[in-house]
Order: sequence, then structure tokens, then C-alpha cells
Amino acid sequence: MLTISNVSKSFPGVKALSDVRLEVKAGEVHALVGENGAGKSTLTRIIAGVHQPDEGSIEFDGEIVHWPSPAAAKAAGIHVIYQEFVLFPNLTVAENIFLGHERRGFLNGIDHSRTRQDAADLLNRLGVKIDPDALVAELSVADQQMVEIAKALVHKVKLLILDEPTAVIAGHEVELLFGRLRALRDDGVAIIYISHRLEEIFELCDRVTVFKDGQFVATEAVAAMTHDTLVSLMVGRNMSDLFPAKAAVGETRPVVLSATDVSVKGRVYKANIELRAGEITALSGMVGAGRTELAMALFGGLSMTSGQITIGGETFRKMTPSRAIEKGIGLLTEDRKGQGLAMLTDVSTNISASDLGSVSQSGWLNHSKERAIAAAEIETYRIACRGPQGAVLTMSGGNQQKVLVARWARTSRKVIIMDEPTRGVDVGAKAEIYRIMRQLADKGLAVLMISSEMPEVIGLADRVFVMREGVITGELGPDEIHEQRIIQLATQKRAS
Amino acid sequence: MTQSAQSQAQQPSRMLDVARSYGIHLVLLALIVVTAMLSPAFVTGNNISNMLLQAAPLGIVVIGQVLVILVRGLDLSVASVMATAAVVATTFSGQDSDALPVFLVAMAIGLATGLLNGLLITKRNVSPFLATLATMTLLQGMRFAYTQGAPSGNVPPIYRVLGSQTFYGVPYNLMILIVLATVFSVLLHKTTYGRRVYLTGGNPAMARLVGIHSDRITIASYVISGGLAALAGLIYSGFVGIVDNWVGRGFELDSIVAAVMGGVALSGGRGSIIGGLFGAAILVVVFNAVLMIGFPIEFQIIIKGFVIIVAAAFYVRKTI
Amino acid sequence: MTTVASTFTFLTKRRGGLLTVIGLICVLAIFGIVMSDKFGTASNASNILEQATPLALVSLGQTLVIITGGIDLSVGSLVSLASVLLSGITAGDPTMMYVALITIMLVGIFVGLINAGASLYLGVHPLIVTLGTGAILQGVTLLYTQTPIGKMPKGFDELAYGRVLGLPIGAVFTIAAFVLTAVFMRKVPLGRYIYATGDDALGAQLMGLPRTKVLFFAYGFCGLMASVAAIFLVARLGAGQPYTGQNFTLTSITPVVVGGTLLSGGRGGVMGTLMGVYLVSLLNNLLNFMSLSTHYQLIIQGLIVIIAVSVYVENKKRV
Repeated sequence: MLTISNVSKSFPGVKALSDVRLEVKAGEVHALVGENGAGKSTLTRIIAGVHQPDEGSIEFDGEIVHWPSPAAAKAAGIHVIYQEFVLFPNLTVAENIFLGHERRGFLNGIDHSRTRQDAADLLNRLGVKIDPDALVAELSVADQQMVEIAKALVHKVKLLILDEPTAVIAGHEVELLFGRLRALRDDGVAIIYISHRLEEIFELCDRVTVFKDGQFVATEAVAAMTHDTLVSLMVGRNMSDLFPAKAAVGETRPVVLSATDVSVKGRVYKANIELRAGEITALSGMVGAGRTELAMALFGGLSMTSGQITIGGETFRKMTPSRAIEKGIGLLTEDRKGQGLAMLTDVSTNISASDLGSVSQSGWLNHSKERAIAAAEIETYRIACRGPQGAVLTMSGGNQQKVLVARWARTSRKVIIMDEPTRGVDVGAKAEIYRIMRQLADKGLAVLMISSEMPEVIGLADRVFVMREGVITGELGPDEIHEQRIIQLATQKRAS
Repeated sequence: MTQSAQSQAQQPSRMLDVARSYGIHLVLLALIVVTAMLSPAFVTGNNISNMLLQAAPLGIVVIGQVLVILVRGLDLSVASVMATAAVVATTFSGQDSDALPVFLVAMAIGLATGLLNGLLITKRNVSPFLATLATMTLLQGMRFAYTQGAPSGNVPPIYRVLGSQTFYGVPYNLMILIVLATVFSVLLHKTTYGRRVYLTGGNPAMARLVGIHSDRITIASYVISGGLAALAGLIYSGFVGIVDNWVGRGFELDSIVAAVMGGVALSGGRGSIIGGLFGAAILVVVFNAVLMIGFPIEFQIIIKGFVIIVAAAFYVRKTI
Repeated sequence: MTTVASTFTFLTKRRGGLLTVIGLICVLAIFGIVMSDKFGTASNASNILEQATPLALVSLGQTLVIITGGIDLSVGSLVSLASVLLSGITAGDPTMMYVALITIMLVGIFVGLINAGASLYLGVHPLIVTLGTGAILQGVTLLYTQTPIGKMPKGFDELAYGRVLGLPIGAVFTIAAFVLTAVFMRKVPLGRYIYATGDDALGAQLMGLPRTKVLFFAYGFCGLMASVAAIFLVARLGAGQPYTGQNFTLTSITPVVVGGTLLSGGRGGVMGTLMGVYLVSLLNNLLNFMSLSTHYQLIIQGLIVIIAVSVYVENKKRV
């Protein structure tokens, strides 16, 4: 059905794909796996006509194709369910489902009652109860995901691509989804299934293709693989090489930050968490479980609606970023571009941003001192750039992340929070970031890591807190950290 | 092979970068040379000092506008503040003894308008365009209601001196502009306040997370812009001499055009006061050239319209 | 039963702002009737409706543009240009009048297309593009004439003073235009795409929705409406004037915002704008009755905008 040959694609500063191939047959579910930054999303966007490949060819349904726009790929019978939904919050569920395939009635105008009826039917077939007249903005994330899936069932597709469809749904909804996907496969639809959850691949998929660092690694029948062989293909090296040694088990380390009954309106409910000096603590759970919001509350980026935070013997009911910085807390956001870096300025400006006091005297900036500090940090963290005045915009994800590490390591004396620290970072830089994190912990900092990547949590963390639907569902000590246990805590239904 | 292809692809963008950095100076130079060749009267001392007299009030407004655009804003209320300040100038006795009260009242109005703008934008999340549009309308209505349509009275002589006299050929108002431009440039580039302005405009979400009170920085920009507009209004009232309700009309557009031409990014966080002043200089030269060469005066507006679109398109940066 | 209930929730939850505006109109009307005997008369009511016509039409076009997430600041200058072209070309000649009418409508559409094209292909925000085209159009208008120009044939003022079904022609035309546009927005897919584009431009692109078509349509329609508004203005004034439209740029935005359409796009509707127009016109009329000069209308308008935008907080998060 789909044959990708020798496709390459570059963006400023990044080679996203080099010389990759992929072959998907009609009537199969084909898994596409790889770590963050492996190039899966870029390839998805190329197949969907959002990006055009720099080199290589795409053959679809027996013809070489060049899609200038998403509309062209859509017309050819390709439907993509993106990880970040393509839903219009101010339109209703029914309107969203049929957008671009409107149900027509009188004088060829939109027939709203038929749209509503058909939408209700589709949602019923999916087995979910969602009001077709509700605005998408009013739905939960899981329901939004189901609406996204319903959109794929509106018209006949030849190729369906799902990018992390289970990141925000669990249990019953996942089974409903899988049932649908199997039925589509049996109808002869080709399906590309992208997921971080390896168990799903073994449960659902027929063949699997592995990408690493924008390169093709292998295509194999799933039946011929084991969990371990798949992971080693993805990571490209042994786990032990990737992760530094953990903190010694058995020592009791002092608590530097404790949060009691912290709530964030609508996102976090009475969370209790303790961070210990010298440890890397992971905050695990599904996307949307409230991990980022809890971290933001600890840092003062979101306001707490209840609870308190104790750090350095002082207790706060209200936290702000400036107070957090003053008390020695730092936070590396998951959204580097949106919240982390001033993309159009240089490295030194970004490094000194949280600590202008150290590069100024009574309000006057000392530019040469600022550049000297930046130069030293570039050296320390081996940041590849054109020096302190190099632009961050064109740097690779890994180096941008290291700029953030450099910034926050300077001001974080007690706690450093890292939200998805390896998102969009290549494997080489990943290992370095893990090493830096461990070094920070060894220096006596409490490191709090939020991660959706299971190998990362298991390979790096000394302690794990798991969240589900805004609630901390469990704490796992050094010898309790197992994948099964984490998934169980992350997806279990609350006792009702 | 791929390397050379890459560097070739980067070539035009680098040339564009160079053009973006220095283009404005060349444009100004070329304009002056061409106009001087077409119209010798352009380079007479009289005309030059006349242009500078006109440029100064615009330049003062541009400083404020640049500060606002740097924090991702836009200030459409500046012209209305100018006109209101000018009306205030004629309100008292018209003697120098009232110069100080005039100054204080005008500044109070300008600063208050800026404060209202800033509060609406930061605390109520109103778009800068709409907020400053509303205060502009509000101020205009109050001015009209106060003057009943036609202000009368005289501008205190000292403002006439500041607005229209020269000191050995150098206009007083130009000296004020130079002092202000220097002060604010130093603030922007040499102090932590300036750094906070650039960070707030460059990425507001980040600025908040590194502990910058970006709301305060944003409000400060609007307050400064309002204050400078009031000052410019007083000086401009001295330049025109006879005050009507529309002193400074068009300055909101002119100041934005100047800033954009000078490379101040409407998306915030990039640009400088010097750049904005170069933009203002180009505008004034163009306006003057239109007259000197003998085109109808309406060409000024048409050229302005073209220039802002072209300049904005020229500085558009495609980010990933 | 359920439909009644769901209609009720729909009205209160999704159209709460609109209900407030209608409520305000009622309150003002009652206030006016109590204040003055002449306010409540049929002739004053139709006067309000007639005076609202040009503003209503410009705001109608503006609404579509704002729903796409853009703005059109060139409408004022376009109204001026269209008005002087109309009476200037006509110059009292009934045959030339038709030429003039077609010309200004084409000019309006053309200006709209230029606005859309420039923001699409130059990547410049519509605010700046239309600020620029607005200046250009004002310059062109002044080059054409500096004073009121030309005249319309006899009977053209019927458009302003004539009645259909007892209502001013302009008011009937306005209501028809709004209803048709509302139906269009709801019944024609392009209408939904206009909303979707304003809601999430990137998402619309990923969905393969025709962004180009959406923008060209919205801005073209806005330009056309500005020209049509000029026709009604000229009918009332007798001749086009080079500054006649300059207030429309700003005043056309007020009713849109008051009617609950978000400046950030994707939300709102034309019927809200119509109510916004009537609220503003009613208020101005009331101020006249209270013998407050027109200058106070500006103050009130500034206040309305500030209050309206503070009520409809733009809480849309850009991710």
C-alpha cells in the first residue's frame, strides 16, 4: 500500500530523517517505534503531506506521489490521528467529526440534524458516550481522543496513521480502540501504529519498524521479536551504557522539599510528595495525569488552590517563580520553545535569564562577565554552539536542552525539576543529559524528573511517584521500580 | 555534496540577514542622495533644520512605541495623548508662568492613559490593539467634550521655543530627543530592566518562569509610551502654534511604521530605539522629498502605506 | 421537552453574552421611553434603524474577518473611496450610476483580496497589512478629491428615506444581509471552515481545510460590504466625501466585540454583531435625546469596548 524509499528531511539545525524506508501492506497493523526524536512524527507529517521530503520517494497505492498539501494526501485516502489533537475547541463534537465531509441536506446546505445523528452513531459504534452537541472544549482529554478516532471512521481510508493514540486513554477505551483497528485491518486498511507502550505492539501489531536518530534500523515480524530485542534495537546500545549508576540503596537521605496536600484547580488533588537530596525522583503517569501541573505548582508557575510546600525549613502556602528561584528550586519545562528559551536571542542571554543578579551590579549589566560565565558553561556542558553569542534557534534539541540545564543548574541549590528532559533529543545527547542529572544529584540536589518514557524512569530513577487523574496513586522505593507496577498504578481505576 | 548544497541554501538567507542589519542605513543614505540630486533645495540648511524640527516629536513618540512593541504590544493611543496634551497646553493662561502646571497635567494624562492601557492588557488580557484603541477613543471623546469642538487659547511661549526654535541651527526639540533616546537606549542595553524588557517580549511565558514580573515590565512600557507621547504633544503644540483637536494625527501609524522599518519585530523582543529612530528619519525624509520633488502631498500617505507592508514583510522571519 | 431544555442551556451557556446585549437594549429602550415621549415613537425607531445601516454593513464584513482571527483596518478608507467614486463617476447621470455601482463593488472586493493575499503570501499580520492598505486608500481618495464630489441622480435618496413594509429600506436590507450571512455561516461548509481557521489555524491546515479560500472569501466579503455601506451613506448624504468613512474602521469593531465575537478568532457570530450595532445606535440616539453632544458618544464607545472586552475574557490558550 505504502512504500517509502530513501526519504531524507532537514530542518534548520536538525537532520530529522536521513535515508529512511518503510513499507506498509494493506491489511496489516504496522508498528513504528523509536525513542523521542527518532523521526516518527516527521515521517508521519511527510506521509500526510504537511512536509515535503528533501530527497527520496513515496509510493502509495501503486503510484509515486508528491503531495503538496495535507488536503492532497487526505483526498488520496490517508488519515492521520496526531498526538496533539486536531480538534477545534469552539465547534461541536459532531461538527468536528464531519469537518471537511459535511453531511448535506436541503439545497446542498449542511444538514445539522443528520450530522448530529451520524456522529451519535459513530460514537456508539466506538462504544463511548459523548454528546455530539457538546463543544470539544468542554470534553475531557480522553473523550477528545475518542472524537479524534471517530473522525477516522467517517470516510473510507486506505491508510490510517495513529500517533500515540493511547497516551491519554486507558483500560476499556483502549480495548474498544483495538477492536476497531482490528476490524479496519480485516477490511484491508493499512494501519501505521506509533506507540511508546511496547506491550501494545505485541498485542496489536503484525510487523514493526524501528527508527533511531532519524535513521531506519530494521523491519521485523512482531512474532519474531521479544520485548528485549525490540528495546535494544530502539536504544541501539545496552541499557547499562545509557544510564549512569543509581544512588546507593539503603542510605536514608534527607528530605529537601516536601509538598503537602497540594491541589491545582481541576488538575491536581491533594498531592503529597517528598524529594530527597542526592536522589533522582521520577514522577510517572499518563499524559494529562497532572504531572506537569504538580511540578509547576511546586515551582510557583501555577497557583496552588490548597496545600503547602516546605523547603529549607520554611513553609509556603503561596509560591511564585521568583520565590522558588530564591529558595533554590529550578524548573526545566517540557516546552522548550514555548516556555523555556528566548529562541531569537543568544546563548548567554538564555543562560543568565534566571540569575540576572549574578551578571549585574545595582542594576547595571556586566556584559563581559555574562559572556565569560556563558563561555564557562558551554565548556562544562559541552554545548555545541557558535559561542556565547550564538543563536539558540538553530541549535539541535539536545544542545538547547543543555542551555536550559546550564541556566537552572546555576540557580538550583536544592531542587531541580526536569519535565521530559530528553524530549526531542538524540540518543547521544540523551546519555549526556542522564549523566548530568546524576551529577546534579551527586552534588546533593534533589532531582525531580517527569518522564513518559518507561526505560528512562526505570533506568534512572531512585524513587518513583505515580499519578493518575490528578492523584498520586503510589510511591515506589528503590527496589520496587518495575514497569508492570508503574503501569498498574498509572491506569488503575480509582476505587469508587 | 550535501554540505555544499546546504551552504548554498544558506547563502541567500545570510545575505538577507546582512540586509536586515544594515539595509536601513543604506536606504536612508540612498534616499538623501537621490532627493538631493532631484531637488537641490533639499540640502539647504533651512530645509534640513526644518526636517529635524519635524522629526523630533515623532522621534520622541517612536521611543515609547519601540518600548511597547518590544513587549509584544502596540500603542494606538499615542496620537490621542499628544492632541490631549496640546489641548492642555492652551488651557491655562498661555503665559510661561503656567508652563509647569501645563507640563504636570499633560504628563499626568499621558501616564494615566499608559497605566490604563497596561492594566487592561496585563490584568484583563485584552489585546493591545483593542485596549489602546479604546483608550484612544475615550480620550478623544473627553477632549472633544472639553473643548466643545474647537480649542482656543495660546501655547505658553516656552513651548513655542522648545518646539520651533533652534540653537545655532540645532533645534531644541532635537536636543530633547537626543537626551531621551540616549537615556532609554542605555536603560535598554545596559541595565537589568532592559534585559527584562527583551526577555518579556522574546518569550513572555519563559520570562514569567525565570521570575521576571513581566506584567510590571509590560505596564511600564505603556506608561513610558504615554508619558513620552504627552511630552511630544506639548513640544508639537509649540511647533504648530495653533492647537486644534487633531495635533499629532497620524502619529500612531507613523510611529509604528518607523519602528517596523527600523527592524523592531512586531512579535516582540527584537529591535532597538536607534533602529526606530532611523525609521523615523526615513519617514521624515520621504515626506519632505515628496514635497521637494513636487508630488501632491497625498503621496505621503500612500507611500507610508506601502512602506509599512513592505518593511514588515522584509523583516518576517520564518521560524520552524 | 428535552429540546426546550437543551435550547435553554444552549442559550444561557453559549450565548450568555448575546442575551446580556439584548437585555441591555431592552433596558436602554425602556429608559429612553421613560425619559422622553418622542423616543418611543415609530419614527424615532425607524430613524435608529436607518442610521445604523452603514455601520451594520461594515461590521458584518468585519465580523467574518475577525472570526478568521484577523482584522480589517482598511474598511474606513475603503468606505471613503467607494463613496467618492460612486458620486464622482455618476455625476448625476442615471446610466453612469450603474457603472459606478459595479465599479465600487469590484473595488471593494479587489481591496479585500489584496488584503488577504498580502497577509497570506507575505506572512505579515493582517493588522499591519490593512493598516497599510488603509493608508494607501486614504491617499488615493484624497488624490481623487479633497472635497465632496459629484452627485447622484434624482430619487437615489429613496434608498435612505424610502420605506418597505413600513421599515426603512436600509434596515430591511441590513436584516436580510445579516440573516443570509448567518445562514451561510451555519449551512455552507465554507462558513464552518471560517470558524475552524480562526479557532486553530495550524489545525485547519493539518485537516486540509482551504485556508486560502477562507481568507480570500472573508476579506473579499468585508471589502464588498464596505462598498455597499458607502452606497447607503451616499444615499443619505447626497454626495461622497473623502473623510466620510474614517470613523468606520474603529466603530465597526465595537459592535463585533460587544456582540461576543472574540478578537482572537473562532468564536462568535454575525447575529451578535447585529445586536451590538443596535445597542450602539440606540445609545447614540439616547445621548442625542439627552442633548449630550456627539462628543460624549466617543467616550461611551471607548467605555463600551473596555467593558465588553473585560467581560468576554479571551481565555483561549495558544499552545
